[in-house]
Amino acid sequence: MNAQVRKHYVRIVVVWLLTLASLYALQQYFS
Amino acid sequence: MHWIDWTILIAYLVWIVVDGIRLTKKSKELEGYFLASRSIPWWAVGLSVMATQLSAITMIGTTGQGYAEGMRFIQYYYALPLAMLILSVTFVPFFHNARVFTAYEYLERRFDAKTRSLTAFLFLISRAMACGAVISAPAVVLSVILGLNVTATCLFIGLPTALYTIFGGVQAVTWTDVKQMGLIVFGLLAAFAALIIGIPREVGVTGALDIAGSLGYMQTFDFEFDLSNRYTFWSGTIAALFLFLSYFGTDQSQVQRYLTARSVDDARVSLFMSGYWKIPLQVLVLLIGVLIFVFYIFTPPPMLFNAAHEQRVRESARAAEYATLEQQFDRAIAGRRDAAAQLAAAERNGDGAATAFANAGFKSWNDEVIRIRQSAVALVKDVSGDQSYNDVNFVFPTWVTTHLPVGIVGLILAAIFAAAMSTIAAELASLSTATVIDFYRRWIRSEADDHHLLNVSRAATAFWGLFASVVAIYAVELGSLIEVVNRFGSFFYGSILGVFFLAIGWRRANGNGAFIGLIAGMAAVAYVNFSTSVEFLWLNVVGAVTVFVVGIIISELAPSAPKVPR
Repeated sequence: MNAQVRKHYVRIVVVWLLTLASLYALQQYFS
Repeated sequence: MHWIDWTILIAYLVWIVVDGIRLTKKSKELEGYFLASRSIPWWAVGLSVMATQLSAITMIGTTGQGYAEGMRFIQYYYALPLAMLILSVTFVPFFHNARVFTAYEYLERRFDAKTRSLTAFLFLISRAMACGAVISAPAVVLSVILGLNVTATCLFIGLPTALYTIFGGVQAVTWTDVKQMGLIVFGLLAAFAALIIGIPREVGVTGALDIAGSLGYMQTFDFEFDLSNRYTFWSGTIAALFLFLSYFGTDQSQVQRYLTARSVDDARVSLFMSGYWKIPLQVLVLLIGVLIFVFYIFTPPPMLFNAAHEQRVRESARAAEYATLEQQFDRAIAGRRDAAAQLAAAERNGDGAATAFANAGFKSWNDEVIRIRQSAVALVKDVSGDQSYNDVNFVFPTWVTTHLPVGIVGLILAAIFAAAMSTIAAELASLSTATVIDFYRRWIRSEADDHHLLNVSRAATAFWGLFASVVAIYAVELGSLIEVVNRFGSFFYGSILGVFFLAIGWRRANGNGAFIGLIAGMAAVAYVNFSTSVEFLWLNVVGAVTVFVVGIIISELAPSAPKVPR
């Protein structure tokens, strides 16, 4: 597995958490 | 529909078939036909994975779901990025390094022929029936929108797809997927932009989402742990994780996509594309539904979105009943519109008491609209006999054809066709691959050369294309049967995943353990399904865990020399 692929693992987790946080913020703001 | 939109739609169908068949020359041997000679760049594989998963049911049904229930369905996708991470370190390297054509082929190398054949057989049955549903669901809706009969729309979707898949093989499937995915994203963005532009200026985007939010439409998290509730945070992160591991890790229609990648790392990165983009894309789809709901608050909607059914009721003996409902509906729609305007104004002024008052009025009018619509749908079901009728599936296409400009309508309808065709093509290719590799070459003609197998593969693709089209055409009559079969499909998913868990995760697991575990898993799923109210997503967990546990017990009690996959 090359280093570029390994970087994706971290990025995906970060993007995933940010996406969930954004959706939670969206829910809180518009409810 | 305007002749320009018809021209765009027909031009799309002709272009995609010609473009797919053009790739026939690159499919002269079996590996070229089934795996594109493992030569596809990661980004094309990634787009093909996404296009395969995003069917027309997503464009029509999910926008309808956003319209009827808001954003809560998004929870279903929360585990997808995690599934991609897990698969990229587990299943993907195993499949790639084993140089297999199908996921099930790997199971014979690891276990035995009976485990391979049973899993491949379960795949063929469930995927072939599901393929029929993938054609019939949009065909029923598009037949009303385009004014054609259902058989014609089934053939419009099924035949061109079968044609380019038969000749172009997986090369054609993948490269047409790339173009179709581009068209789908364009269609969704165009619809979203039109909706944003269409929101009344005095309401604005924030006001529109406030109005939707006041009815709970913006709920994206439900932390209640309830096994009978389909969409909660827990079902989306735990149960759906098993579903996605199974779908992307063991379903040949997806495994075949990333087996075409040039290397293991390319295959991994292609899956990451879905990991990054699937949730945002699904948010876009659901937001379109939510915004159509808001749009129809300020623009009078039809009481029913299926114009053909509506016409039938108007011409029936119960026309007067329908007219009375329509009068009540018009009153409720006007009341709801005024209440929504008051709510938006109160929110804008930051007046808490006025907001609460307007909110109560708006909810009450909306409940009235829902009640009248339910009565109208019940009336339609009585008159037409169509008990599986789901009005929300007609919302998105009706809005597109009645409120968007000429040209854009044709492009978005082409995008709906593209969504259906990209999924069907991958499914036909995978059905053909499993038929030829796991059955024909394995049990009937193991010594056959590539030329012969290639001809059989094309015949198998044609057979499955025909089979799926026939299932789709008769799906209206078979309605509830198709639903049963699709539900039956969910019996297998988790159990098949359990077999792969055993193969990769338990070194001493053997063929008997896997085979008996698989049967025990399906039995456990059947028991839970028929004797409890547990929602279907959790059946994947039940199946996978049962197979894994029973498989380990049998393998440990009756050990055999472990087979190491080549």
